[in-house]
Amino acid sequence: MKAITKIIVPVLSICVLNSCGGVPEEKTASAGEEKVFAVEEVLEMVAKENDVTRTLYTKAIVGGGKKQGMKFDEDWRKDDVEAGPLPALFLRGVATSIKKSPVPLGLYLGSDFPINAANKFVGKQANLFETIKKDQKPQFFYDDDQKLHTAMFADLASAGACVTCHNDHPQTSKSDWKLGDVMGATTWQYPKDSLTYKETVAVLNSYAKGTVDIYMEYLDEIEAFKESEKPEIGDKWPADGKYLPTPEVFLDSVRKLSSYETMKHLVAAK
Amino acid sequence: MFKVSPLRKRQFIGGIIGLVLGSSLFYILTLDVTEEYVSIGPMNTGHNELSCFACHADAKGNLMQQVQSNISHAFGAREESVDFGTQDVTVDNCLQCHDRPNDRHPVYRFSEPRFKEATKHIDATTCITCHTEHQEERVSVENINYCMNCHQDLEVENDPLDISHVQLIAKEEWTTCIQCHDFHGNHTYEVPEHLKDTIPMQKIKAYFNGGEDPYGTVKKYIALSQEEWLKTLED
Repeated sequence: MKAITKIIVPVLSICVLNSCGGVPEEKTASAGEEKVFAVEEVLEMVAKENDVTRTLYTKAIVGGGKKQGMKFDEDWRKDDVEAGPLPALFLRGVATSIKKSPVPLGLYLGSDFPINAANKFVGKQANLFETIKKDQKPQFFYDDDQKLHTAMFADLASAGACVTCHNDHPQTSKSDWKLGDVMGATTWQYPKDSLTYKETVAVLNSYAKGTVDIYMEYLDEIEAFKESEKPEIGDKWPADGKYLPTPEVFLDSVRKLSSYETMKHLVAAK
Repeated sequence: MFKVSPLRKRQFIGGIIGLVLGSSLFYILTLDVTEEYVSIGPMNTGHNELSCFACHADAKGNLMQQVQSNISHAFGAREESVDFGTQDVTVDNCLQCHDRPNDRHPVYRFSEPRFKEATKHIDATTCITCHTEHQEERVSVENINYCMNCHQDLEVENDPLDISHVQLIAKEEWTTCIQCHDFHGNHTYEVPEHLKDTIPMQKIKAYFNGGEDPYGTVKKYIALSQEEWLKTLED
């Protein structure tokens, strides 16, 4: 009896427990794949795409659209406002979409003279932004608290619309912006120090999807206009009249403008 | 087959009764009708109709597999431990029904490094900081002065309020914020311009405790019901 309790029961228990097999270990999509990009390279790539997208949106949609009488407003989501998102809010829309995607990428916009006081840099970001303003070069650091690789990139006044809107805004904290000024910086975060080819493409795709998502929200807003004239959505741009491109046409233009730089990196890694 | 010593008969019968009772209870408590007895407390306002599985999804594998995996992890034979029984509830569970484009304070924004100090005081990166579940209330945060963590420098151009925002902040009247502005900006209503017309704190507190909505009934976004949420999973 003693032998049963001391040896057989524990051995049987272990056998029964072990016979189930454990919960299968989750292999990440990247398991076994070679890490080909440093996180800094990937964030530079996606920041470049962001530059092109934002400039296109600011110049061709906001700048061109305003000339056609289209409205863009910081309160564009309000029920009684019939307008599109301003460039900073366009970027926030992209960031929201990325956050909802499975890609662990973070994107934020800040400045030392923001319109919205909540977007003012403080602490380490404020110090690094001073350096960015001097040389316009990206700054990288590892945020120990959040365990995230972080990069900051200069956000330039690339279009006349940036300068005039910020200078004339009733809540502006600086009214002498000039074309080419470093108006702020985008902050990007990612948890890993290196990425596989697949992970890199996923980062770029999540940014592109974010662009389409917020642009489609804008088009949905237009669809709901009650009083304002609705621009025609198709393959034409505001430069041609009261038109807006479809999301596909918009994204195609972004790709045409940014694809060479991005492809160069991706192909070189292959 | 088994020979039970007469001296251990009572012990044996007790063991059998315990096993039968334990197994029955284990089975009964997994049934939908007994959910309220398993719950650690009544659901918060608006969540009364939710089933446990809406937030507490089954963990991967069966119980034996989960036990084995966690023992293996304890002995270093496995890299990751696994959830036992049900998966951890995260902010993603909340957002599956409550995420919306017009949120004035979406949780993801507070992940940015510049909110590091603020989130030390109030962790706005997760819903449960203010909406702890199973409390039978709407808002569980104790102090309603949380705006002070980010809005100390607020100045409103052409301030429409009779006592300016700057003055209110200087006097540290932080509870007045919520008397005009709902935190997530989900209500369509006229914001008062005179402090005397703002919503009394008693009404705000009653609302936080699950009472009537003082910001009005017109909402910009309605969270998904359990049925609507289940449909999104089919898509």
